Amino acid sequence: MWTYEKKLQYPVKITRCNPKLAQIIISQYGGPDGELAASLRYLSQRYSMPYAELKGLLTDIGTEELAHFEMIGAIVYQLTRNLSRQEIEASGFDKYFVDHTAGIYPVAASGAPFTAAYIQSKGDVITDLHENLAAEGTAL
Amino acid sequence: MSNREKLLRNLSSVQFALWELHLYLNTHPNDLSALSMHEKYNLKFRKLKEEYEENYGPLSPRTGEGIEWLKNPWPWDVGGCDG
Repeated sequence: MWTYEKKLQYPVKITRCNPKLAQIIISQYGGPDGELAASLRYLSQRYSMPYAELKGLLTDIGTEELAHFEMIGAIVYQLTRNLSRQEIEASGFDKYFVDHTAGIYPVAASGAPFTAAYIQSKGDVITDLHENLAAEGTAL
Repeated sequence: MSNREKLLRNLSSVQFALWELHLYLNTHPNDLSALSMHEKYNLKFRKLKEEYEENYGPLSPRTGEGIEWLKNPWPWDVGGCDG
């Protein structure tokens, strides 16, 4: 089980909105190597891990990725808060806005919605750890 | 930076150290110096958390309920363009 702590792992306090930047950063939220993918990858792989050290580590890292997920969500939220119609149109944020308005939705920068096809969980320790190395190697 | 933010930042730094030690201990469970450092930071963390919660409200549903728990700001609310 999990419990929630009402704080971010590291504070997010953005002073200027920037919808253009938000459209790139959102890939770290719902993209192929984003925090949600990382979290689901580790939290799913841990069941078939044969060693206690790895069960512990994947549980903890999968948990920490959720905290990162929350920070990225806060960043995107603050970058796109209270935009004017002109800012939305000029930044190209209109293509996101038409479906989600100012809601935070897990998508890649390309607009592809989040999918479990981004991750793998094969029930084999070496295979899964290799998958993790590949994914982490591309992490921002 | 407000006092609340300062305290929260302090708390988060200690929590970060504590968490990193915890991660390390997953693969080095018998490292006595890491275990004692963990104990030290845990004590510090608990004190700071108590201080924060006394002044600014609960960080977890176990330390406050109802209106106290719901009180603004939520973690993502602080910051952003307010027009």
